[in-house]
Amino acid sequence: MEIDNSKEWHWFKGGLVVSLLSIGTYVVFQAIEHRSYPFGVTSGFAYISAQFGSMFGELTETTIVKNYLSKAYLEFFILVGLVVGGFTASKISGTREPESIPATWKKYHGDNIYKRFFVVLIGGILLGVGAGIAAGCTTGNILQGWAHLSLGSIVAGASFFLTAVIAAHILFYKVWRTK
Amino acid sequence: MILKIIIGLIIGFVFGYALQRTGITKYPRVMGMLLLKDFKVLKFMLTAVILSMIGFHFLGELSVIKINPKPLDWGKLVGGLLFGAGMGLLGYCPGTMMARIGEGKKEALLAAFGMVAGLFIFILYNDFFKSTFLASPIDGNLFAALGVNQWIVIVPAVILFSGLIYLVNKNFSDNKKIF
Repeated sequence: MEIDNSKEWHWFKGGLVVSLLSIGTYVVFQAIEHRSYPFGVTSGFAYISAQFGSMFGELTETTIVKNYLSKAYLEFFILVGLVVGGFTASKISGTREPESIPATWKKYHGDNIYKRFFVVLIGGILLGVGAGIAAGCTTGNILQGWAHLSLGSIVAGASFFLTAVIAAHILFYKVWRTK
Repeated sequence: MILKIIIGLIIGFVFGYALQRTGITKYPRVMGMLLLKDFKVLKFMLTAVILSMIGFHFLGELSVIKINPKPLDWGKLVGGLLFGAGMGLLGYCPGTMMARIGEGKKEALLAAFGMVAGLFIFILYNDFFKSTFLASPIDGNLFAALGVNQWIVIVPAVILFSGLIYLVNKNFSDNKKIF
């Protein structure tokens, strides 16, 4: 059975736009901030966490909190931009479909939203701890890190896929088994 | 300061817009890839990686930018495995999570809260991580580690990724209903 995705961009167009954004950003960062570092998404979240951290006396003076607070200000606004970008794109293309939990999840795991919320919360925490330890998420370690052929990112990106594929096969065992 | 805010917002907007329009924010798309049945997300990612890889290293050779690869340490493996498990449970990563909030997917807010909490844990136990997984990092990228000219690694990498795109594009439809 086919599904209608006629409103979507071709994968090549999406990839082209993101690669131009990555390269353009890197050049701009180098020019205005003299930093040789690509854009990422994790740092923006880390900025928020560091703001919380700075509310606790003993954490305020740690290098990690100071680092995030001084370097990740710009990245925090990337998060804001992402929300606005997602909103605008969905409005313009007429694909905005607000929902509490994904319809696909409901079909296989039932309507209980608290069951899904529990999985989402655990998933979110794992993303945060993992991205912190691995120094970047899919954006930093694959879109940027693989493009830089960074040794660390090659290992991180491969590790992402390994456990993500395992988790997906456990959650959607029935789908996996059907041809 | 205001310049940083504007640049951050622009990066986020373009990235979020491209992710949403290409369909990368869709739950069934990401889960479809993790079940190895729908490869649009992979084709998009590898296209961005190939084009950025060529662009970054070309500009690096012209000394317009300086490439700064992420170091390799045990954190890339450990953090990567944790992050992947989170991505499999959620069905999206930190960047698409924020674009999903813009699309009106309410559960993504809870995921973002989890992400901040996870990074707070990373900040709180940073001394432990630094003395274990993140100790003794190995600097550099693949061609430096192999001690060869960058294009000797880039050309085969581009051929490998392009071949992978060609194979999945030939054998799997983007419009097949999986769930």
